[in-house]
Amino acid sequence: MKILYAEDEQQISRAVTEILKIEGFDVTSVYDGGEAWGRISTGYYDAVILDIMMPVMDGIDVLEKMRNNDIFTPVLMLTAKASIDDRIKGLSVGADDYLSKPFSMKELVARINSMLRRKNQYKNEILKFGNTSLDCTTGELKSEKSSLRLSNIEVELLSFLVKNPGAIYSGEKLNEILWQNSKSADSISLYIAYLKNKLTQVCSDSSIIISDPGYIFGVKGR
Amino acid sequence: MNSKDLEFYGDLAPLLIEKENSLLSEIKGILDSISTDSETALAEHLKSRIKSCDSIKEKLGKNDLDENAVTGLKELSDVIGLRIVTHFVGDIYTVLEKIQLSKKWRVVTVKDYITNCKPNGYRSLHVILSVDFDYPGLDHINVEIQLRTIAMDCWASLEHQLKYKKNIKNTELIVSELKRCADEMASTDLSLQTIREMIQNHE
Repeated sequence: MKILYAEDEQQISRAVTEILKIEGFDVTSVYDGGEAWGRISTGYYDAVILDIMMPVMDGIDVLEKMRNNDIFTPVLMLTAKASIDDRIKGLSVGADDYLSKPFSMKELVARINSMLRRKNQYKNEILKFGNTSLDCTTGELKSEKSSLRLSNIEVELLSFLVKNPGAIYSGEKLNEILWQNSKSADSISLYIAYLKNKLTQVCSDSSIIISDPGYIFGVKGR
Repeated sequence: MNSKDLEFYGDLAPLLIEKENSLLSEIKGILDSISTDSETALAEHLKSRIKSCDSIKEKLGKNDLDENAVTGLKELSDVIGLRIVTHFVGDIYTVLEKIQLSKKWRVVTVKDYITNCKPNGYRSLHVILSVDFDYPGLDHINVEIQLRTIAMDCWASLEHQLKYKKNIKNTELIVSELKRCADEMASTDLSLQTIREMIQNHE
């Protein structure tokens, strides 16, 4: 599981990073909000830990920017002990959980695990893009003109791409992010082809562009 | 045609049967021109029928029209109906293109219920043709060709049973499940089409 950890206090950062690595997480540490946003916007991470007080952009701003850009990666906020306002603000702009400093490492690990478990239940949502919608629970891909039922793998792939419009993903990257490298390169290009044809079939105004560096999801003609 | 239908159509009956047969052989010619190899043949099967007198009368009656054969031929487009059932979705459009190019008839309309599926999930492509006819007051008649895949055909036959069976329990459940199946089959039809393209691009 890939975690982005944003914390400007070097000593805390080093210690927490080490312990999370021991717990088996693949941790990337950054030291300010600007760098955090740059990395999160790739959609690469499974979870994000954000300190609130950081240079360049504070944790709340990063979180707000994420949710405004339809990036739904689970976020755990680290707040100063006294600040109830920070907690409320964090939760109201879309944090999934918070932990106040100083915290116990055991509790941090437990909360990350619980957040990741819940992440897989975020499926019960209906994604809307242009004239098309995807019901992630039933797999129904629908437009005014027609509808189709997608398989689970197709839903996983399309919902990920829909949440990250305009970003370029190579087949390998998608394989790593979505299926922990368990799929073959051929199967990913086949699933992309399925989705491309199925989006066309329901007359969607969105499509997947197959380009040299990778796949890009977007609204046609933009 | 059974005796009841023969009586209803009268002297139109032999003309209709002849027209039906000539259309069948035209369409068969089109299909064979694309492929005669059984492995790559487009059509799984080709069928035709002449509308039963009961069905014509019902339809005309609904529209307050005289319930006779000539009115039926003038007002309805599917007194003669052909159905082409293909393996893959793409084949439907390949055949459609050939039908549109033929000089043997005039294409009146194409209704694409594959792209615009009906709310219940029905999918097919309907082509209405205007063909020459040799009967006093009827120099042309319309005929309907339905094109669909095996999956769509299978679905339609089940849905047809539902329509004509009375007193079915759980109608609501069956209707919603049929709609779900239609969407799943359409999805699988496209997956098969995609795989086939992938295989063919390899050759």
